[in-house]
Amino acid sequence: MKTPEVAVELYVLLSAILFIMGVMGVLLRRNAILVFMSVELMLNAGNLALAAFARQWANGDGLLMVFFVMTVAASEVAVGLALIVAIFRTEKAIDIDELHLLKD
Amino acid sequence: MELTLFVIIGAVSVAAAAMMLISENAVHSALFLILNLACIAFFFLMLDAPFLAMVQITVYAGAIMVLFLFVIMLLGAERVEPSRQPRFRWLTPMVIVLTLIFLVTTSVAIVDGKINLTEPQQIQPRVRVVHALEDVPQIDAYLNGAPIAQGLAFLENGDFSTHNPGRYTVAVFPAGADPKTASPLVEQTIDLQSGEALSLTAVGRSTPKLVLATEDLSYNEKKGTARITAINALPDRDWVSVFNDSSPDDRRVLIDKLDFGVAETIQVEMGTYTIGLYPSGNDRNSLAEFKDEKLDADVSLLWVFAEERRPDNSFVNRLVPLQTSTNPSFGGPSHVGQLLFSVYVLPFEMVSLLLLVAMIGAIVLTHEALPVRRKVERRLAVNPTVGVEQPASSEGK
Repeated sequence: MKTPEVAVELYVLLSAILFIMGVMGVLLRRNAILVFMSVELMLNAGNLALAAFARQWANGDGLLMVFFVMTVAASEVAVGLALIVAIFRTEKAIDIDELHLLKD
Repeated sequence: MELTLFVIIGAVSVAAAAMMLISENAVHSALFLILNLACIAFFFLMLDAPFLAMVQITVYAGAIMVLFLFVIMLLGAERVEPSRQPRFRWLTPMVIVLTLIFLVTTSVAIVDGKINLTEPQQIQPRVRVVHALEDVPQIDAYLNGAPIAQGLAFLENGDFSTHNPGRYTVAVFPAGADPKTASPLVEQTIDLQSGEALSLTAVGRSTPKLVLATEDLSYNEKKGTARITAINALPDRDWVSVFNDSSPDDRRVLIDKLDFGVAETIQVEMGTYTIGLYPSGNDRNSLAEFKDEKLDADVSLLWVFAEERRPDNSFVNRLVPLQTSTNPSFGGPSHVGQLLFSVYVLPFEMVSLLLLVAMIGAIVLTHEALPVRRKVERRLAVNPTVGVEQPASSEGK
């Protein structure tokens, strides 16, 4: 394989930027579904970094980790969205600032 | 060109992520996230991971985001009114400042941190075993004690197995023998280096030995040719010559003087050939003619010339062609599948179980509660004499 034109640092830098934007979304947004989507953004940033390093070392293990992360993210989304739907049924709100049932 | 593409698609993905965070409407945010996921899939294509790119589009953009959109529409959660709960007033600026500091720190670390870039692009070496030992019906082969081929019949080859570069000991045993106690038919120490596909051919009759044939998997410089590595596994001949006998009056020699137990590599134009095998010193009477050997372009072939003993104890010369693809498809489905079902079977099964449990969990959580069955009160028959005036007793004067 030829030497890559785009160095691995650029990919990891992009992955860091996307991850930070995901973190901001998790901390700042109020809609529970938006928080969830920001978590998905963070997971994708991690996948990008894994795939970049897998290409760097020409080792297929990195690609497999991406595969597993995607699968776990899918199952997490299924359960999380089911939880949100169940909460919405009782509380009629998904604003995370209002959902403080566990608080005294 | 790749760099400009990276910058453009990177800018699009960052802009989409920013719009996802800013947008008021949740559906718009979901659509921007889909755009971001599509950009990530494009990056996977640029990173030689085509299988992952397709899985990303199918699973993430196609299933997960559709699920998100369904839930958003189901809950009517497009717009969220400002909540009555007062928020920590400095929350937004504090979060932005802190995350930006974090980003700057990690960027400096990444760009200046001298990520170790020595030896990139090293493809992991692959090894396979070919059985050309006479008088041994089946063999097992072990690499540092781990089996890489079991029950190989004569002139059969095992599949390629991938290993880390290093020094290994190869030991070949008759099939079924215990590697710890039995003495090996042949044992050799080999060095596995990156970028190699090594075929170990076990040849010989009384004194078996291993012939190492390394197929260089680098990019084929001469397009339209096939790279052939030929191994002489005929123990009775000192050396043989391989001729191209396609046209009887214009015989061209392909390999001259191939000694027993030696591998030699040549490059041949693609086409259909008749290959003639000639014994030492005699280029008139061929040992065997192999007709219609088709050579495709850009393949790497391993030819093993061996003798096969027929049931009636006569010998026939055989040419066993074994193919290796020149350019390994890194990141393709076969590469991912090979790893997934050999080394990573246990995580694969565990994640599948996790998916099943998540599916059941999602169903249980969204199932409407069954109506509570109240305990049925059974009414006892009321005593009719209660509350009824007794007539004056006629007895008891």
